Order: sequence, then C-alpha cells, then structure tokens
Amino acid sequence: MSATSASPSSVAPAPVRRAWMAVLARTPRDDLEAALERALRDIPAPPYDWLRPPEIGLAMVRGRIGGSGDPFNLGEATVTRATLRLRAPAGADATVGVACHLGRDRRRAELAALADALLQMPEHHAVLHKQLIEPLAAQQAVKRAGRQQDAAATRVEFFTMVRGD
Amino acid sequence: MENSQIALSTLTPGFADPVHDTQAVFRTLLDALSRPGTVGVVENVLPEVRATRAELAAFAALLALCDYATPVWLAQPDTALGSALRFHTGAPLVDEPAQAAFAYIHDAGTLPPLESFALGAAESPEQSVTLLIRVEALTGGAPVVLSGPGIQHTETIAPVGLPGHFWRERAALAPLFPCGVDCYLICGARLIGLPRTTQAKVN
Repeated sequence: MSATSASPSSVAPAPVRRAWMAVLARTPRDDLEAALERALRDIPAPPYDWLRPPEIGLAMVRGRIGGSGDPFNLGEATVTRATLRLRAPAGADATVGVACHLGRDRRRAELAALADALLQMPEHHAVLHKQLIEPLAAQQAVKRAGRQQDAAATRVEFFTMVRGD
Repeated sequence: MENSQIALSTLTPGFADPVHDTQAVFRTLLDALSRPGTVGVVENVLPEVRATRAELAAFAALLALCDYATPVWLAQPDTALGSALRFHTGAPLVDEPAQAAFAYIHDAGTLPPLESFALGAAESPEQSVTLLIRVEALTGGAPVVLSGPGIQHTETIAPVGLPGHFWRERAALAPLFPCGVDCYLICGARLIGLPRTTQAKVN
C-alpha cells in the first residue's frame, strides 16, 4: 500500500492524527456509526468525493519472535482502505480523510475516513474529539487492560530448582 | 521526485468504477494495437476537470496499465500527473528513459532517440517500453503508409506534430525484432496504436 500523508493545511501534527486514526481503525462499525451520528447531530453531513472508494485487499503481516528476533511473514490479512476529499468552497484547501482497517467492511472505512477528515477541520475538531475519539479510546483502553489481565493470569513462570549444597 | 509528498487536497480522482473502467480502457488499447492505424476512442471514464494537462487517453491508459512493477517516465515534469499515478497505481516515477516500462511524452518535439528507451532482450522482449506520445492531431499531417500484421493491405495515417527522426529511428529498430518499442499516438480521447511489427513508409 502506498503511503499517504496529511495535506499541509491539516491542523493536527502527525502523531496526534496517527493516534485518532488508530482509535478509528479499531472501532467496530456499529460503535462508529452510532458515535458519528451522535457527534454529527449539530453539523450538516458534509458532501465529499472519493479519491479512492473503499477497496479490499491483502496486506502481509510480519512478526518478530519476542519482538526482537528476525522478521518473518506471519500471513496475509484482509485490509480495507478508503480515501475521500471533502468538497471545499472555491479557493479553500480541501480536507482529505484516510482510513485503513483490518477486515472487509467498506461502510466502516467510509465512516472512519469521514471522521478523520472532520477531525482535521479546526471548527469540528474539539467537538468530535470529545464526543467520538475520547470515549472510544477509553473503551478500547479498558478492553485492552482486561485482555492483558486475562493473559497475565495465565502466565507461567519457568524456573530451575537449584539444589543447595 | 520519489520522496515528494502527494498533494491529496488537489489530487485528480481516478476511475469511478475501477474494475470495469480499467477493462474498457484495456480493451480499447488492445484493439488499437492489434489493428494498427485504426483510431481507438477512450470512452469518457474520467472526470471532466483534471488537475493534469495530460491527454485524457494517456491518463486513462496509464491508470489502466500501470502498477507498482511498471516504472513510468514523464518527458515533461507534471506534478499533478505524477501524484495521481503514484496514488492510484503505485507506479514509481523514474528519471531515466531507459528504466521506464511506460513513458508519456507530452511534447512530441522533445522525444529523445528511441534507442535511449528499454528495447527488451532476445529472451524477454516484453521488457521493453510502451511510448504514449501526444500529437497535435491524428489527421491532416504528412501521410504515412502502414503495413504488417493486423493490416490486411495498407493503412494510411497522417498524424501532426511528430518529429522527423521518429519514423527513421523506428525503421532502424525493425531488424532488432522481437525487441523494439510499441507506441501510441494520442490526441484527446483518441489514439492510434503502432506496435513494433508495423512497417511505416513516409511519403
């Protein structure tokens, strides 16, 4: 997949945008749809054009044993990506929203790309970030902590008995 | 060229229906190349307003044919066309004509010698370049009589704006068959295919 980047006019520096895109990429479609609908109650749904309509492809997932070994190909995963551009008034720079997530849900990519574009607009950023990203990020953090706890509970410590002399 | 950012806010959109539009354009290109001298027309598959000045048929052909494995050389720098190709097809842009699998020459007057392009090798003649050359018109110029495979008797074309050395150099490459270059002469949405097997006689 080719690397895409934010337009120079975007308000957010790259790491901040990366963080919210990561949250959007992990959000299931139903949550995204409901949250976006709630957040967009006061804003008219913005018109947009597709630069890349949602498309499904394969990406090779690579891993390293223990996070430090030699990289190897773990297998291929289905990925959906989409890029859209909001229609801007003449003369203004258009905002571009990008989405990419695991799985094959086109509608979800569309919603995530739309949210990404709106989050880059200074006039919508604060509201959307508060109503959309923050609750979803908190929800994901809780889930993640729960999984980590479950995994930690099954942890097995290997040790060797040392015979005292 | 490679590392510059793609300006997405001004990017030209590609095909609206990539699968079917690509197939339709591919069919047009294939027919044009298998019947040299006939004029192929690329249906209106791309948005009317494009940021690039490239001809419609050339842009459509590059969108349909290129992918990450086909380096593209643009004779005239065209940031909008380069960005669109990199975004929609993933094709790398190269600085040397010899590295290119496809080349777009917007200004036919600046066409470099045909020997400077990849001609393929005897074992892999398919690894040669396909030239997309913009001409001012496909009719009205000096007549050129074509013959060879895909033409029953002869076919006459009269493109305007090709440099004189083009036909000379093309004839000089003929003995190298199966190596050689394939060309498309492009004007607007119309194009003529000139495969390496076609013999051209300039009157």
